[in-house]
Amino acid sequence: MKIQSVKYLTREGFRNVWVNRLMSIASIGVLVACMVLIGMALLITKNVDRTMQTLEQQNVVMVYFNDKNSVIYGENAVAPNASDATASDGGATETNDIPESAYLVHNEQEALAVCENLKKIANVTSVEFISSDEALKRAKETVLEGQAAAFEILEEENGNPMSHGAKITLQSMENFDATISAISATSGVDSVVSHGDLAKKISGIKSAINLICFWIIGILGIISLVIVSNTIRVTMYNRKLEISIMKAVGATDSFVRLPFIIEGMLLGVISALISEGLIYFCYRVAGETMSETFNTLIPFSEEALLLLGIFLAIGIFAGAVGSAFMISKYLKKEGSEFKAL
Amino acid sequence: MDNQVFPNDDFILTPDTVFPEDKHIVTPEKPIIEFRGVSKTYQTGTHALKDVNIQIHPGEFVFVVGASGAGKSTFMKLIMREEKANTGDVLVNGYNLTKMPRKQIPMLRRTMGIVFQDFRLIPTMDVFDNVAFAMHVVGEKPNVIRREVAKALSQVGLGHKARSKPAELSGGEQQRVGLARALINKPKLLIADEPTGNVDPNMSYEIVEMLSRINQQGTTVLMVTHEHNLVRDFHHRVIMLEGGTIVADNAEGTI
Repeated sequence: MKIQSVKYLTREGFRNVWVNRLMSIASIGVLVACMVLIGMALLITKNVDRTMQTLEQQNVVMVYFNDKNSVIYGENAVAPNASDATASDGGATETNDIPESAYLVHNEQEALAVCENLKKIANVTSVEFISSDEALKRAKETVLEGQAAAFEILEEENGNPMSHGAKITLQSMENFDATISAISATSGVDSVVSHGDLAKKISGIKSAINLICFWIIGILGIISLVIVSNTIRVTMYNRKLEISIMKAVGATDSFVRLPFIIEGMLLGVISALISEGLIYFCYRVAGETMSETFNTLIPFSEEALLLLGIFLAIGIFAGAVGSAFMISKYLKKEGSEFKAL
Repeated sequence: MDNQVFPNDDFILTPDTVFPEDKHIVTPEKPIIEFRGVSKTYQTGTHALKDVNIQIHPGEFVFVVGASGAGKSTFMKLIMREEKANTGDVLVNGYNLTKMPRKQIPMLRRTMGIVFQDFRLIPTMDVFDNVAFAMHVVGEKPNVIRREVAKALSQVGLGHKARSKPAELSGGEQQRVGLARALINKPKLLIADEPTGNVDPNMSYEIVEMLSRINQQGTTVLMVTHEHNLVRDFHHRVIMLEGGTIVADNAEGTI
């Protein structure tokens, strides 16, 4: 095709958008609706991802080691005499009654060795050792003034009541159960305190939202393509006369096709720009409304280019492919005819 | 036209050789339109044309007449390669239309100008653009288009209405725009399908006079019409179709 023809047809494509403006507005309207929904779904996915990441970063598991204090005060405290009501009720045992073989961690060195083993577990990002002294200090700092006396009484009776422990940060919540099992099974670990249910819920919500958004984006993408094809088809039937004249004066199929493709692409670009503006406006309103309760919304500027890129890609692809497909189908069917309208 | 020279393609007829026994090769001195034993039957079973043999030579003005269903439309459709013959050969402007592939149809149509009964002007374009359109199709340069379209419009007496929309013109004026468009690429053959069907009697005469002048300048004109008075008054060759066959072929314009 000659360069003059390409220039002319490009101009025609632009002109057609204006000349057939009612049809253009209809196509743009539907395309914008699809794109805004796609954009919303994307932004929701992004925000959920970001929130999950924040939550995952705070995903800390406390581990208590199997030392002397865990035997006395811990969940699995040993009762030397089952009939001893005090022991079974309070879980406390006389310190002197505990043989060294009853527990696995006898000093800080052994506790640190357990920490090293914990670090080797997959999905464990970091292990922070907390000695029994540090634990007691932190406990005293965090409890209320009146309750601090309880620690002092225990201290007076059996010395420091706290066990050695570790604060473990997990990489992700996806393999939460397996990781907790591995930690629990590590030699020297007495008990693990975690928010497993919350982790599972968060992970579940994230997967569900991602899946829903994936389907929304996919389905709307296909809908956009069908809508553009359909609009071009209607436009084509409206412009049968024009096409028939083109064929009568010796236009090739590509000459007939090009203005429609340019028109489709242009509708896509216009829709993309309008959608970007609308999403920006909606997102800003949503951000202002939710700022008091939900302050972790991703700034729009961070995602603006990505969104525009996606919109343009969808618009141009749907416009070009939709119109190319429909016009080719039409030309194949009625391409050499121009008399019978 | 440069796109007519494809020596290796057997659907294009070489200009300087005559092979009488080879039915798809003719010379340009030979007929511009030739039907050799052409029959056309539609899928519905209608026999539109039956063993038609005819020759129309360069520079001729030919009226095609006949009642509805006589085969006039099929005759014209075969020439424009809107339909394909079932048997026989249709030779037009150096192309053998029976053997021509579909992608060559635009090249064939660029060698002819077509005038329609219903004018076929694009309503959203003004008069100038409607005519220029045909030149854009062949990839002509903008300055040539401006010059030639202005010339063509003044030749049909519509230079002053270049920026009017078709709806603002009378039937006769619209047909003259259609004529300017058909002639803008200087075709060797002009096909007019009932060009006077939608205009008043006075304008009918004016249009046929215009076609006659074009014919005198060397363009072959083939005009389908129902108006017998026009045929009688203009004294051109008349081909009469009836039941898909040529029943009369009179050189002196008698029916």
